[in-house]
Amino acid sequence: MFAQLVVSGIGQGSIYALVALGMTILFRVTTVVNFAHGELFMAGAFLIYALLNALGVPYAAAALAALLFLFLFGNAVERLLMRPLANAPHLSLAMMTVALSYLLRGGVRFLWGGNVRSLPPMFSFAPIEVGPVVIDAQDAVIIASTAALLVLFFALMRYSRFGKEAQAVTDSTRGAALVGINVAAFQRTMWGVAAMVAAVASILVAPETMLYPDMGARVLLRAFAAMTLGGFGSLGGAVAGGILMGIIEQLAGGYVSTAMIDIASYIVIIAVLLLRPSGLFGRAEVVRV
Amino acid sequence: MSRGGAAAVAALLILLVLPPFFVDDYVQFILDLILVYVMVSFGFNIVLGYAGQLAFANAAFFGLGAYTLAICLGRLDWPFPAALFAAAVVGGAAGLLVSLPALRLRAYYLAIITLAFGELLRWTYVHASGLTRGSSGLGVPAISIFGIPVASDRARYWLFLALAGLTLWGSANLLRSRFGRALVAVRGNEAAAAAMGLAPAVVKIGAFAWSGVVVAIGGAMYALLLGRISPESFGLSQLLLHFSIVMIGGLGSLVGSVLGAVILTAAPELLRDIPGLEEIIFSLLLIGVLLFMPKGVAGLLGRLALFRERLYLT
Repeated sequence: MFAQLVVSGIGQGSIYALVALGMTILFRVTTVVNFAHGELFMAGAFLIYALLNALGVPYAAAALAALLFLFLFGNAVERLLMRPLANAPHLSLAMMTVALSYLLRGGVRFLWGGNVRSLPPMFSFAPIEVGPVVIDAQDAVIIASTAALLVLFFALMRYSRFGKEAQAVTDSTRGAALVGINVAAFQRTMWGVAAMVAAVASILVAPETMLYPDMGARVLLRAFAAMTLGGFGSLGGAVAGGILMGIIEQLAGGYVSTAMIDIASYIVIIAVLLLRPSGLFGRAEVVRV
Repeated sequence: MSRGGAAAVAALLILLVLPPFFVDDYVQFILDLILVYVMVSFGFNIVLGYAGQLAFANAAFFGLGAYTLAICLGRLDWPFPAALFAAAVVGGAAGLLVSLPALRLRAYYLAIITLAFGELLRWTYVHASGLTRGSSGLGVPAISIFGIPVASDRARYWLFLALAGLTLWGSANLLRSRFGRALVAVRGNEAAAAAMGLAPAVVKIGAFAWSGVVVAIGGAMYALLLGRISPESFGLSQLLLHFSIVMIGGLGSLVGSVLGAVILTAAPELLRDIPGLEEIIFSLLLIGVLLFMPKGVAGLLGRLALFRERLYLT
């Protein structure tokens, strides 16, 4: 049972890891904590649902459309909502993302109502059996795709020019501007990229999960748990924290009670922030004035 | 206060006491609801506007107040004043508790932990059904104060008016005191405030505790007004309403809080019938306020220089 729970936990956790990763890259480059990130994920899932049901396009086409749309949407959000507040206090920037989250949730509720919807499974091959552990087909796809994506992402961050620019902007926006990086344009692109990573999570998870307007808020809190657990602002920490969070949830559900699945992430957030705010892999922060 | 000022305040008080004699039942209910949200907004504004802390625990304080009152009245048969006092104490204690992470280095830790705290409480309301009756909702019995029954919306109006008035008076005095000035100093620059001998940690804890007390009393009033409370009343849409009232009224302005509560509570019922519409309108209003009038409606009035001094402490 333990191994089975861990495997399903990794499947769930991959989604949390992707959402947390998107929030972390955005946070590193813009210092904005995006409270609307769960809703970007939710909007991506509903977009796929709409394309599949209304237009009957194949899943791959719907997935591509979702990626493209969320990239553009992320850019638009930065340009229209965040850029005008560049010199405003940090509280206003955070409030803006809160307002955006409610706008997206309200928009989806307005268009589709509050009912729970679902999509047919994307893959119908038989579950994979490894000894006593049964890996669901969709879980297998999610875990494999997430792993491939993470390798690609970390290679990009490490070896490409884009990754080096991201590191420069993270270290110091002023320094990056001095060496010729267009920081505003870079941050805008990053909003697009972060939204696109959220769309990847929606593409992977849409066929096996229930779609409803509040699903984003649920995932947002789990992504926060992942980020706090792994150390806020650490890319690797967000991924490790996400997968760990998925496993913790499944273990709590399996050994304690299924009601615990819902609150495991809240308890993790509260416990980590009170006991060890730098998380498992983060470094304690020193502020100089 | 000048003689003219005193006369104006007296006239305002008389005007505020009169409505129950004239309005119909529906308007009376809306007026009561406005007073509830005036209260909530006073409390939230202290944390969000004056202390400048992004915290999502407001719906949690609100729910704690409502449930504490309902449980003390209905389950323990406490008299109303004792139940109200209990709600205030529980709210204050919760405020104290969530302020602990505000003392850490990073500001958004607070936002995240308060978000988790609120959801955790909502889960508790659903699952502690022995105490809260879970999702089916908990009834709130009618009350009397020292033998006088307060059972209609009209009677409740005067009770709520008195509570809101006392809170406004208390909050305004608090914000003009040494503590209030310290709060604004900490918001401006924590290091500078500490260098001047203030203790930022103590100031923040105080702000959260007072906010918890005020919002929990608002929640208790809400429970009395509705007569039945259930967990879904204290979730994210409740929080959106609180945010909107404070931001649209004006951050860091108690008068703005009153304005925000009046504007948003009186928003047509129509919004509630179409799914999602309330969220869309309120969030668009929030975005508009953030982009075009960062000080809210109170800031707009202040720009007319009518009563700049009165509206803002800062």
